[in-house]
Amino acid sequence: MRTTARAVVPIIFVVSASLFVEGHNLPGGGFIAGVLTTTAFAVLYLAFGLDFLERGVLGRDVEPGKEPSRDRIVTAYRRLFTIGLVIAVTSGLVPLLFDLPFLTQSYVELEGVPIYDHVELASALAFDLGVYCVVVGGLLTILSVVGAE
Amino acid sequence: MSEVPVLLETTLRVALVIVSALCVCCSYRVIRGPTDPDRVVALDAIATNVVAIAVLFAIQTGRGLFITVSLVLAIIGFIATVAVAKFVIDGEVIE
Repeated sequence: MRTTARAVVPIIFVVSASLFVEGHNLPGGGFIAGVLTTTAFAVLYLAFGLDFLERGVLGRDVEPGKEPSRDRIVTAYRRLFTIGLVIAVTSGLVPLLFDLPFLTQSYVELEGVPIYDHVELASALAFDLGVYCVVVGGLLTILSVVGAE
Repeated sequence: MSEVPVLLETTLRVALVIVSALCVCCSYRVIRGPTDPDRVVALDAIATNVVAIAVLFAIQTGRGLFITVSLVLAIIGFIATVAVAKFVIDGEVIE
C-alpha cells in the first residue's frame, strides 16, 4: 500500500498539473486539477494515516486525540479556500477597471521562451488558480475532518 | 487521423456494444448482489467499462481529449477501489 502510494502520488500530481495548464484551450482546468490533487492527498491519507502530513512531512508534533478541526493543517486548508475565493473574485473584478464586462478574459502569446519556444499566457489562468485553490481547500477540509470521525 | 479503416470501424462498434452490455450486466449485480463486496466489485467493473468506452470512443473519433477523460476516470476508480479494500480489511478508511 505505501509502496504503491509512493509511485502513484507523483503521477497523479503530474497529471493534475498538466490538466491545470492546458485548461484554457482544451478540456481540463482548475476544477478537475483540484479534484485530482485532492485524490492524491486522499491516497496519502489512506496509506499513511491522518497525522502523516503534519508529523512526517512538516515535522510538527501532533497530539493523537486532539480535536481534528483545530489542527493547524485544517486551518491551512481553510485559509487556502479563502485565498482561492479571493483570487477568483479579484480576477473577475480586474476587467472592470478597464471598462470591460465582468470576467472578461484575454491572452498574450510569448515567443522565444526557453524550452517551450511558444507559450500562450491566458488571463483565465488566474481564475483557474482561484478555482483550483477553492476546490483543493474545500475538499481537503471535508476529507480530513470527516475522515477523523 | 480522420480516416478510420472499415474493419477497425466495425470492430469498434461491436466492442462498444459489448462493453455497454457488460455495464448493464454489472448493474444487475449492483442492484441484486447478495452481499456488499459483490456490489463493490460490480461498481468497480462498471468504472473500468466506462474507461474502456472512453478509450474506444477516442479511437473512433480520433480526438485525444477522451484519453484524458479515461485517465482521470481510471485514477478516481483506482482510489475508490483502494478505499473500499481498506474499509473491508481494517473497518475504517482513514486511520
